[in-house]
This record gives sequence, C-alpha cells and structure tokens, in this order.
Amino acid sequence: MASGSVEGEQSSLADDYDALISTTDVELLKRAWRNEKAAPEILRFESDLITRVREQIELMEETVEEKLTVGTDPLSVSLYQMDLDRTLFLLRSYLRIRILKIEKYMFHIRKTEELWNRLSKDEKFFTERCTDDLKKHLEESVLSKLPENYQSYERQSVISEEDDMVPEPRLDTFVLCRSKEYLTGIQLEDGPVDDRSKLFEMEPDVLYFICYKSIKSLVESGKIDLL
Amino acid sequence: MANYYDIDDILVEEEIVSVIFQKAASGVGIDPSSETDFIETGSKVELPFWLAHELQLRQAVSVNVPPCFNQKTRLEIQADCACVDLRSRCPYFYEFGCKIAPIVGDRTIGFLLLSAFKNRYREVLTKAHTAAITAGSKFWTILTNEEINLYETAQSAMASFKKWRMGGARFQIASILGRKRKPTE
Amino acid sequence: MAGQSNHELSLFSAEELEFIAEDEIVDIVPNLKMDPLCLISGDFGPFTPQIVTQVPLWLAIALKKRGKCSIVPPQWMSVEKLTQVLEAERDSQEMSEHLPFHYVEISRLLFDHARDNISDAYMVRSLIEDIRDVRFHKVETDLEAFNGRTIAVKIKNLSAMEVNIVRPFIGRALQAFYKHDSPDLIPDPERVSDRRPQVAPNAPRRQLRR
Repeated sequence: MASGSVEGEQSSLADDYDALISTTDVELLKRAWRNEKAAPEILRFESDLITRVREQIELMEETVEEKLTVGTDPLSVSLYQMDLDRTLFLLRSYLRIRILKIEKYMFHIRKTEELWNRLSKDEKFFTERCTDDLKKHLEESVLSKLPENYQSYERQSVISEEDDMVPEPRLDTFVLCRSKEYLTGIQLEDGPVDDRSKLFEMEPDVLYFICYKSIKSLVESGKIDLL
Repeated sequence: MANYYDIDDILVEEEIVSVIFQKAASGVGIDPSSETDFIETGSKVELPFWLAHELQLRQAVSVNVPPCFNQKTRLEIQADCACVDLRSRCPYFYEFGCKIAPIVGDRTIGFLLLSAFKNRYREVLTKAHTAAITAGSKFWTILTNEEINLYETAQSAMASFKKWRMGGARFQIASILGRKRKPTE
Repeated sequence: MAGQSNHELSLFSAEELEFIAEDEIVDIVPNLKMDPLCLISGDFGPFTPQIVTQVPLWLAIALKKRGKCSIVPPQWMSVEKLTQVLEAERDSQEMSEHLPFHYVEISRLLFDHARDNISDAYMVRSLIEDIRDVRFHKVETDLEAFNGRTIAVKIKNLSAMEVNIVRPFIGRALQAFYKHDSPDLIPDPERVSDRRPQVAPNAPRRQLRR
C-alpha cells in the first residue's frame, strides 16, 4: 500500500514484499483492527485469526522466557519483547473497540440476530451479563416506579410501535475506504436521489469517503478495507 | 432509534413554532394570553415543536412555517449567505429545518438548508484548519450549533496532529500491562 | 450531536498512525553481528556488520537507539527528490504520487531518531514541511468545491496523516450534505396520508431522524 507509489525498481520489490507480508497474521489482525475501528457497527469476530494470534503470542511469551533463562543476548531478547508488545497492543485494542461497541449498543446487539451471531463466545457472555444487569438496574431504580404503561426499558410507552429507546449504530456515517482491486458495477444501496441508480466503481488503492451503509456488504465480504 | 438519548435532538424539539388550532379545545392552559382554559378554533398559539407535532398528528392544529425559514430569511441567505446570523434565528437551524419540513410539507426547506450549508461550510472550512478564532470574534456569534461543531471537529483534529508533530508522547506500555499475565484457565 | 462518539470511535490518533507506519520497511546498515530474528511480524536478519538488511522501522529505531546500526533514509527523502516533488506539487492541483502513504510519520520518526543519518537534514525537513503545506492547501481547495450531490468523494494520493486530519471534518460535512439532500426529508405524499390517522405519539419520529 504505502510503497505502491514509490517509483522504479523499489516499487516491484516493495510490491513483492507487500504480497509476502500481507499473509502474516499480524497484518491480518491489523486489517481487522482498522476495519473494526472505522466501522460504526460491530463486525464479525475474526475467530480463527484471533485464535492463531493468541497461540503465536503464547508461543512467543514462552520463547522470550526461555531466552531469558538461558542468558541470550539481552538486545535480541528486548527486540522479541517489542515485537510481542506490538502484537499484544493490536490484539488488546481490537478487543477493546469491540467491547466499547457492545457496551454502547448492547440491547440492540442482543435482540438483532445478525449482530448477535457476530460475537465471540466470551463477548456473548459479556453482553448477556451487561444487558441483564443494566435492565435489572433500570427496572429496580426507575421503571418499576413509573406508571404501568411506561415500564419498558426499550419503549417509551406501550403505544410505541418499535423499540424506540434502544440506541443503534448510525449506519449513515461516512467512512474512509480502499479497495485492493478494481471494483465495478457496485450497486449502491443508498445515496442521494439523483445518484441512486448509478453503478459505482472503485479504483484500486484510491481512497474514498462513502456512506457506510452503501458499502457495508463489501466490507463484510472483505473486498473493501476501511481505514 | 439511533438518537433517543441525544440531548441536542431533544433541545431542537424545544424550538417554538406558531400553530393555528383547527379544533376547539377545553381544559388546556397552553395559551398564556387567554384568561380561560378554553381555546377556540382558529386561535393562533405558540408552542414548542414537540407539542405542536403531536397535536398536528391528531389534526388538532396546523403548523405555520417558522420565521427562520420564511421568505425574508431566504432572501437574506441568497444575498449573502456566509454573513447571515443564523444563530440568533435558530441555533439548530439545520436540525430544526429537517424536522419542520415534513410537518409543514414544504419541500423547498430542504433546498434552502442544502444551499445555506453549502455556502457557509466553505467559510467554516477556510477558518477551521488554519487560524484559531478568538472567543469574542463575530464569526462565532453567527454560526449555528452544527457549524460550530464542524469547526471544532476540524480544529481538534489539526491540534492533535500538531501536538504529535511537536513531539507529543509516544505510545508507551502501561505499567500494569508490562507485568506477566496470569494464565486465564 | 448524535454520532459524535461514533466519530471519535472511528478516528485514528496520530500515535496510532505512527504505530502503523512503524511497520514500513527500511534499509539499515548494522554494526553488530546477530542471528536472524523470527518475530511474530516476520523473520528479519541475519545482521552482519556493514551488510545492508531490511527491517521494519520500529526495529530499525530500536537498534539505532542502542547505537547498533545506521538507517538508510528512503530514496524519496533526499533534497533532490523532494525538490522535484515540491515543484510538481506547486505546478498542479493534482497530488503528487511520489510520496509514500506514510511519508509524514516516516519522516518524523527518522528526524527524531536518525537525524545524523539524513544528509542535509535541515533542508530535507523544511522541504517536507513545505510539501505538506502545499498539499494541505490543495485539499482545502478541493473541499471548497464540494457541492453535496455526490455519493462518494474520491481522494487520490492523499497520505495517511493528511487524510486523517481532514477525516472528521469531511465525514461530518458529508453527513450534513447527505442529510439535507435526503429524499426522506419529506416523505411521499401517499406515505403522509397513510400516516395521518395514526395517533401513536412517537412513531413518526423515526423518519425524521438523521
């Protein structure tokens, strides 16, 4: 990506290199982290990837431990430790953004099957406990003291036709995205009236600001990266 | 609903609109000028938007176009958009416009909002990433809340970039994270 | 405004961009002998004195800090190349494509940690500042031309840091344009009449929501 635009012989070398490192799990984690950070709603938990990264982290922790006991050159140990810290940062940050989103939209996530299925086992457990606790708290401290028609934590009153008090992510947020390949014939799901029928195309490695809901499915299928 | 808990969204609905009662209503004390609690058909009353909206849904009132979207304001916006003091007319000019347009059924309000924003946004833009505006500047006093938010958004992005460039703090490991993790199982 | 925390959520800090840029590969000339490093992020080395090798920037800086290598500044970070870029930037409204995506972060990292490895450091630094200024003015000029009737805004050759600075502003402005231009602002007449008999107090709020 970055090196793509550097001219000359460096360019092909850098491209090869990019292709090579794009396969490492750290690169994949970085991509998942950026997507998760930039997307307004919670994305599918990268379960296989996270399992692999966790394994690599544990392995590296053991390696560092071992190197310390056999008295390996401290410089090299500190470099291993730095690499480990960087990976841990990505992993922690990834998990924390997800928790932030869950805390913010927990009721919505819990009742929306599509979103619920995107969570990991631990996240589901966390969400259940959060929603149960908050619901109980709201009911005990406020709702039970209100007139009968106003005791829902989801609806303003019994005549509300939908769950109008449940915060939801704003899918009309504008996001910054980039495609790796040339994409044509993208049918936008939404947009200003004049443009709605038009097909949209994306050049590779060019940045676009676009409404998240228009490209949601392309983000989910991995064709487009957010950044 | 996305923004039930949004304080600004609630405040927008506090904006006063004038309505004309289509039905007589008794037992209500919403018209302070009236000595009785009875409102006759055809009475003109000023109400907060949220109440006017509810009554309109019940066909009890018809809502008038608020002064900030009337012909006079429109002409002023057309003439010198960037300098019009929208703030004193309505701090939530755009948000209120979006809410009032379907109620009064006036499609031209959408165009008005769009053209006003388009022209004024440029002014915000040119100031946003460069000079900081002093607190007392006239510029502040004519902007709507959304315009001020937009300006502040740009300013804070630029400020955090400058801080970083001047050698702001680099990522460091929190001491608690430096320690060895306990096995979770 | 609603969604403000959303904006914050999606924003990358300058420090986070720096973190990302630290994975960019640079050439170093080690002055120590060290076995290859098999890291989670890839295998690097072996390290042999005076033999150029490629490592990520964070690794280069770590070695440099300990006096174990010198960093070879990337080709684009020379007075000659940067002068060309600056001229090109001044000549055209288009953004030059000769700078890497993370040029702002890379140059700051190298100035902070490997200044002695950059020839004409002072000149290089001021050229980069000038280039950034020229480019930023171009972005602003482009932004002034916004008219709102667009489904997407295409940004060619803007760097990671540059785009990150304007991202909150553009995102917010586009959202405002989008909202005021939305067909939902006024529902179809049939829908209005459908809605009429309804007396549910809160139902119609929805279509008004941004």
